[in-house]
Amino acid sequence: MTTRQRLDLLARAYPRLFPRTELLRLLRTQLGHVDALDQWTSRDGTRVRARAPKLIYHICSGNLAVSAWTSLAHGLLLGAHNVVKLPSDRNDGTVRGEILGFIRGLPTPLRKLVETHRTIDLDLLRRAEAVIAFGSDATMESLRPQIRWNQKFIAHGHAVSLLWIPEPDRLTSSQARACAIDILTYDQLGCLSPQAIYLPPGTHLDSLGKKLALTLETHWRQSKIKPARLLAVAARITETRDMAHALGQRVWLPPGKHLGWTLIHDPDPTFQPSPLHGVIYLRQASTAKLRLALASVAGRISTIGIAGKSSSPWEKVFLSLGASRFCAAGHMQFPPLTWQHDGRPSLGDLVDRIDSENVA
Amino acid sequence: MSSTRDFFQPAIRRAWIRQLLGPLDETKWNALASELFAWQFSRIPSYRRLCVAHEVTPKRITSWRDIPAGPQQLFKREKLFTHLSARPAAIYETSGTTTGQPGRQYLLSTDIYRAVSMEGAKRAGLFDQDPQLHFLTPAPQEAPHSSLSAMFGFWLEATEQKKELKFWMRKDRFDFVGLRQTLEKQMKTRRPIAICGTAFSFVHLLDAWADLPPLRLPRGSWLLETGGFKGRSREITKAELYRQLAHAFSLHNNAIWNEYGMSELSSQAYARGITGLHHPPPWARVLIVNPATGREVRVGQQGLIRWLDLANIDSVFALQTLDLAKRIPQGFRLIGRLPRTEPRGCSLGVEDLTPQRIE
Repeated sequence: MTTRQRLDLLARAYPRLFPRTELLRLLRTQLGHVDALDQWTSRDGTRVRARAPKLIYHICSGNLAVSAWTSLAHGLLLGAHNVVKLPSDRNDGTVRGEILGFIRGLPTPLRKLVETHRTIDLDLLRRAEAVIAFGSDATMESLRPQIRWNQKFIAHGHAVSLLWIPEPDRLTSSQARACAIDILTYDQLGCLSPQAIYLPPGTHLDSLGKKLALTLETHWRQSKIKPARLLAVAARITETRDMAHALGQRVWLPPGKHLGWTLIHDPDPTFQPSPLHGVIYLRQASTAKLRLALASVAGRISTIGIAGKSSSPWEKVFLSLGASRFCAAGHMQFPPLTWQHDGRPSLGDLVDRIDSENVA
Repeated sequence: MSSTRDFFQPAIRRAWIRQLLGPLDETKWNALASELFAWQFSRIPSYRRLCVAHEVTPKRITSWRDIPAGPQQLFKREKLFTHLSARPAAIYETSGTTTGQPGRQYLLSTDIYRAVSMEGAKRAGLFDQDPQLHFLTPAPQEAPHSSLSAMFGFWLEATEQKKELKFWMRKDRFDFVGLRQTLEKQMKTRRPIAICGTAFSFVHLLDAWADLPPLRLPRGSWLLETGGFKGRSREITKAELYRQLAHAFSLHNNAIWNEYGMSELSSQAYARGITGLHHPPPWARVLIVNPATGREVRVGQQGLIRWLDLANIDSVFALQTLDLAKRIPQGFRLIGRLPRTEPRGCSLGVEDLTPQRIE
């Protein structure tokens, strides 16, 4: 099967998740040519092609299925055999079910390229040419000793994303709506989900809070599938709300105090992780103080969603803190397939390049 | 109802203790709870803010069940002390193993803690057979911020036992050799023996004595374990811990007690055996609540433990824990600590940000 055939099968099975044009663009940008795996192509006068790994080991995390779907799609595009280590049993099984559902929905020729495991198969892990892992830093650290020196290890450990509103007092309704989408999509569980909104000092918090609260509520009400609030999740949310009230922080809650979303203004600009599940903090910091406020997550910042116009001084600070992606608010959770996850070409990293120079 | 007493006065504190240890029917309990709520509402700004957010004030309260509970986490962020300008006689600290930041309980005086921790154990029946006590903790002088060591110290004083050779942890090391030698001597007297400690200290004891034959403790002896492992020893299930302890001391597992208490509170609940239910003392009440509604769950359902401890006069007496339990008509069945985090995968959480501290 050629790359184009695999691409067509994938795009037909999941046209919204993996549109054909985007897959083509992904191959062009990261492999240099759509047919780079199947034939020699030319680059600056040199004949080049790419070699795909035969076996890829995917280690999936229990928070979100979408990263596993994308990783698997990369492996399938390359025509590799894909071993998928599903999230462990200590997770509630939702994500595991979603990954298995995705695999079941693949056309047979692609499905044959996938096998799933509930526990790590060390033999397969060692035999794999590439290992792609999603999860905590601790998971990555525990995997590292298992990896051969000549094995590709693409580790996606902890990361955090943020929203940034450069001119909060001029925030439009559509920008506020875009923020709500970013906050509430996937119940805030991924590393692309914003955990805080950063604002410049002097923001009129009352009107901004009201505006955001309104759009959060509207978006929550319009969501067809509302995430469950199991006991543990409800406990974290209510604890966070109670703490914020007790500490005298400004809190905006939904009508009837349902647990769909929570907006809190923390006067301390220092980043603190949110308990997720729709809990978002407003924090104010000048560009001078922002670096210090985010020092604890320097090097772990994934995406900065911007609701408004970007400005150079702020951008500079985020860049110096290691942010690897900037996008307009509303798009944080939906990166293009060509997105370089953690700053690396996810597909391109998996292949070996072959050059043929001066050969007649 | 507004507060009428000034809990700064020793005489008033003594009177309060008498009331707690005397008969307490529903009306009396409600009246004392309302009074204490009014006192703490007026004295602790962060607790007052929380109550106002819940639209509960002393004037509006009709039942103790409506009193808002302060989250346990608040003890880590705020000084919850009703006598802010006074010097506390004791400051007890939580282990702080989750976030590296300990929670602190400030006591104006240890008088009430002393009285209720002793009386609670007595009413649970721990001292019925006048056991010789041993503790797998440091002595209170060595660990002045440990509420557990303090309580064990009170027990010793109240039972008129000498402190020497009672606390078997010194300078962060267990003296299991000394303990065993002492136990072997004391066993000959046939007087019951009681050994109390944290779950992790018992695991260390089991490991240290793994190659030694079981001891045959005299009839009426018992063990008391409390707390979890918190990364201080290998973790084993409660059932396995009880099985191994029962074997090591030749006891029935009904002779093993669990104490459920915490540094932020003054009172404790006790359960006997692996399946035992926890019973708080009359001056403390436990609600098993649904965090989504803040209301009590139905009998048979699971929820979070909310303590209301009338002995906790110097801080906040209504405490919302993150401990999971099943509501039972006669008490509650402790399930355990709610996991600090559900799977966050690649999303960074507080545990990943703050270095952990093991005390």
